[in-house]
Amino acid sequence: MEVIGRSIKKGEGHEGIGEAMVGQERISMIPTAPEVSWSALVNGQNIECHIESNAILLDVIRDEVGALGVKRGCDMGTCGCCTVLVDGEPKLSCLTLAGEVSGKEITTVEGLADGHHLHPIQDMFAKHGGSQCGFCTPGFLLVSSALLEKNNSPTDAEIKSAIEGNLCRCTGYQPIVDSIQAAAELMRTDAESVDSTTAKADPHPGFSGENEGGHTA
Amino acid sequence: MGEDDEQMKGYRQQPGKLPFRKPGSGGSKQFSDLRDLSYIPQSEGGDRPQPRGLNRHDHLLTSSSIGRRTPLIDSQWKVTGQAHYGDDVRLRGELIGKILRSPHHYAKIRSIDTSAAEALSGVVCVLTGKNHTNAFGVLPVTKDEHALAVEKVRHVGDLVASVAAIDEATALQALQLIKVDYEILEPVHDMKKAIEDSDNPIHDRGKYHIGEANIQKRVFQEFGNIAGVKDSAASSSVKWSFAGINHGFTEPHAAVAHWDPSGRLTLYTPQQVPHYVHRSLADVLEIPMHQINVHRTFVGGGFGGKSDPFPHEMCAAIMARQTGKPVRITFDREEVFWTNRGRHPSKLEMVVHADTSGRICGIETDALIDGGSFASFGHVTTYYNGVLHTAPYEIGSFHYTGARVWTNKPASGAMRGHGAVNSRCAVESAIDDVCEQLGVDPITFRLANLLPPNSTTITGFRVTSIGMRECLERVREASGWDEKFRKMPLGRGIGIGCGFFISGSGLPIHWDPNKFPHATVHLKIDMDGGVTVHTGAADIGQGSDTVVGQSVAEVLGLPLEMIRVKSRDSDTSPVDLGSYSSRVTFMNANAAISAAMKIREELLAATADITGADPKRLVIGDRRIYDKKDPAVGVSYLEALHKAQEERGALVSSGAYRTPPMGSTHKGAAAGLAPAYSFSAYVAEVEVDAETGQTKVIEAWAAHDCGRALNPLAVEGQIIGSCHMGMGQVLSEEMVYGRTGHLQNPSFLEYKIPSIHEMPKVTPIIVESNDPEGPFGAKEAGEGPLLPILPAVVNAVYDAIGIRVDELPITPDRMYKRIEKKVKKLGIDSPLELPNPTLQTSPLHDDLLARAAAHAERDLARKLDVNRAPYHNGAIFGLKPEIAPEEQMDGWVISVLPSEEYMASPRPAGSAWKHVERRHRGVE
Repeated sequence: MEVIGRSIKKGEGHEGIGEAMVGQERISMIPTAPEVSWSALVNGQNIECHIESNAILLDVIRDEVGALGVKRGCDMGTCGCCTVLVDGEPKLSCLTLAGEVSGKEITTVEGLADGHHLHPIQDMFAKHGGSQCGFCTPGFLLVSSALLEKNNSPTDAEIKSAIEGNLCRCTGYQPIVDSIQAAAELMRTDAESVDSTTAKADPHPGFSGENEGGHTA
Repeated sequence: MGEDDEQMKGYRQQPGKLPFRKPGSGGSKQFSDLRDLSYIPQSEGGDRPQPRGLNRHDHLLTSSSIGRRTPLIDSQWKVTGQAHYGDDVRLRGELIGKILRSPHHYAKIRSIDTSAAEALSGVVCVLTGKNHTNAFGVLPVTKDEHALAVEKVRHVGDLVASVAAIDEATALQALQLIKVDYEILEPVHDMKKAIEDSDNPIHDRGKYHIGEANIQKRVFQEFGNIAGVKDSAASSSVKWSFAGINHGFTEPHAAVAHWDPSGRLTLYTPQQVPHYVHRSLADVLEIPMHQINVHRTFVGGGFGGKSDPFPHEMCAAIMARQTGKPVRITFDREEVFWTNRGRHPSKLEMVVHADTSGRICGIETDALIDGGSFASFGHVTTYYNGVLHTAPYEIGSFHYTGARVWTNKPASGAMRGHGAVNSRCAVESAIDDVCEQLGVDPITFRLANLLPPNSTTITGFRVTSIGMRECLERVREASGWDEKFRKMPLGRGIGIGCGFFISGSGLPIHWDPNKFPHATVHLKIDMDGGVTVHTGAADIGQGSDTVVGQSVAEVLGLPLEMIRVKSRDSDTSPVDLGSYSSRVTFMNANAAISAAMKIREELLAATADITGADPKRLVIGDRRIYDKKDPAVGVSYLEALHKAQEERGALVSSGAYRTPPMGSTHKGAAAGLAPAYSFSAYVAEVEVDAETGQTKVIEAWAAHDCGRALNPLAVEGQIIGSCHMGMGQVLSEEMVYGRTGHLQNPSFLEYKIPSIHEMPKVTPIIVESNDPEGPFGAKEAGEGPLLPILPAVVNAVYDAIGIRVDELPITPDRMYKRIEKKVKKLGIDSPLELPNPTLQTSPLHDDLLARAAAHAERDLARKLDVNRAPYHNGAIFGLKPEIAPEEQMDGWVISVLPSEEYMASPRPAGSAWKHVERRHRGVE
């Protein structure tokens, strides 16, 4: 007898939803949901795709949108690695149905930088050791950028309360708080980060001491 | 001479008539910087003080990178979301792999029916263990794992079958269609039961099987003057219980396997130890190693938990081979807990004796550790529970019995501080207790009992640099110890703990008898001047790419942006043993320095060629090589490079590191041998709520001797991060196995990793003891910094409330039970009336102060004297330090087999020796 697997999911089979015939046996399957169209402005780009109506935002962002900077750490809202910004507000994408945020503006870690100019928070996480293995980093960057957007001179206590839903196993958090404070300072002064593509080699090398002499190093 | 000839003389002589434009000098700055003399040692004409003497790499310092706070060179990838971890590798046409796991603790597999799963549309491959029976494992002597269970499942979550399908939903459906017929066996969960004979041991070690029990490894060690403990003035004896803990790295395991059209396999995996996976794949797939490329992706945290070769990696490779398509397997968090390899649940008995002179005359340790269902690193862990607490103190005798048993739990394995953490916590707590009995300050006691630099421990480890004394002195001062210890109100306390850890393992697991190096680094520099560094060191977030790059940049005087580190593919990287045992900085940076020195020689020779200067007077500065006495005589880095490349093209070099021969000859002498050891001392201040049992760490001061901080930013990150992880173990983390042996909390919801709110302020203090063999004097900083935080907190809890903890984690319920018990025993009305511990200093305290002061002088003299005599553990007890104690004292024992006398009443782990191996019973 023909076995129908995926086709059932698409609603084409003759058995009831969530069932399949294997040999003579009727086997219960994972319940399926109808497909719906979904669109959102992800990192400034309009994305349209078809998803199952019960699809989780994290899956849609990673597998359909392809923003792999959004990390899957636990699937149950305990680690914060999958944080994205929905209309500027941090949200755990593993606990969010994609349908809930349809038509909204979503920012992932890929959308923080302006071209090759890093967002101050990105720059400072790199400089102050806020990122070690880096897996929790996207989540921390997004919650802290949302904080700094509202409050560019946060106290340590305000920072702690902003990142309390994010787990980091490497840094012990202290360098993360330092990084956020450093970024806040940058944002207060409107400093712009260096374009990472600027020339790293100078076409006309020289030596500051060459014609002056007198140094003894 | 024609015009062409003149042009060919070289552009220095013909400015404005160059055949080519000068290429860039490298670096984003236009001009070379002068050497920053504060980074150049005084012995080389700089300003950097050298209180701990000279180092063999001093002359290589160019002030480019070493010792500077250096952001990780891959941090830009991480902060932009461009760092690709295991599950981020997406190949076209990939299939999704899923694992069917055992629902039983222990069962025989009678049969597996996969026909329904195979028939499901969208399923491409269903795999069982039947056809893939080659065993593998991280240690060559204990290969006991398979791609999938072959005959029986050994724990809930053990791998039974795997499926590759067009998508995750289909793969999950297929798992439901696999029918497994199990014959359920009687599981063993209790460690003490596992010591006993069983009808059905979890593994069969053949003729090496110990009795018919579930004992995976047993160790007996006795060193020193055991009789000395008879007249001990104080002793502390505590039976400890440590919960098992998990690494809790944020990235779940994942692997992608792909066979390319030429028939070669590439496995993409977030591994700490790609080389062992490489070997295991060859074993399991029965193909030569050169047919496999192991690609290490970014690793989202390891901490020891990604250092075994894993069954799912084998499954991905096998299914990709069978289907002709890439296969990606990603775990969910629960599967990570079933895979485990975390810290062993342990029962420890710790006895420490001190004599009337305040010397540690004996340590007796019995460690029964729960290995779960596989060997993993078990042989090593069993030894480490003993040998890694034989320093930093001079001790009169050491008696260790250890046993690692199999139980039907997910396997325990290596985790940050491998095997040393629990016994360190117990021994440091016991020393605190002994000090209390003797009426002495515990920091002073420690300062009066330290081994000096360049000494030999009781088990024969060669210790080189020791910064222990400075660590203790600095945390004492930073924490305000003298004003706080035993002087704070009830509920508030302060405690000290020390640590000692290996900086790399002296014995490479796979190498003997071949004399392969532990680490190799290749360099390639082409005409563009950028340096390509090939290393197999696995960057798991600790910054190994950065430190290897820094080492090369330093020797060649280049900015770090000119260095590109390629460490991902086994095809292009020289073999490295991986990121474990805190070996990477020590071994790989040494190899990198040695490779860079070869290039340096060539650049100096080329400069001498161009300028006619004496090569001995040439030094390297920022992108420039010049005469140190006459800096105007010199050439740019690129000019020297291009001269060196004439007639031969790119410069290439290879550097390697291998440990020197060392250690004793007794069985097990190699376990714990390292080319250098790190030392640390932490002080923790805690608050214990006497009415609720809630314990909170308020602040910690953490001094760690890493030899030399090559990158202080990274070292501090390791120290603070270690405090975080250690505080988790001491206060909240626990793998909870219920009454039926079932793991009850395989999620971050119930497995409590400290959040930002539980994390106190940590003041990292870097101590630089200048190791003679470390790269630029460096030692490890990745694991050692975890050890002292546990005993520091435990001892602080005693100071706060007068209760000696004997069980971790100190959850409020456990703490409250002990408070309640004590309140009842004392017959007081309220926990707030508990007596607050006080320190009544005894006359011995002054003796110890005097001894500590004398030893401080002794230590500095030994450090600076290159012609120093040997110093063996035992001198503090009146033996001659130059001669090994066993050669001068009849009662000095070295034994690795228990006596009949001991076996008359063995401790729990020691009772593993009541069994006889099958081969000695004549059973084959």
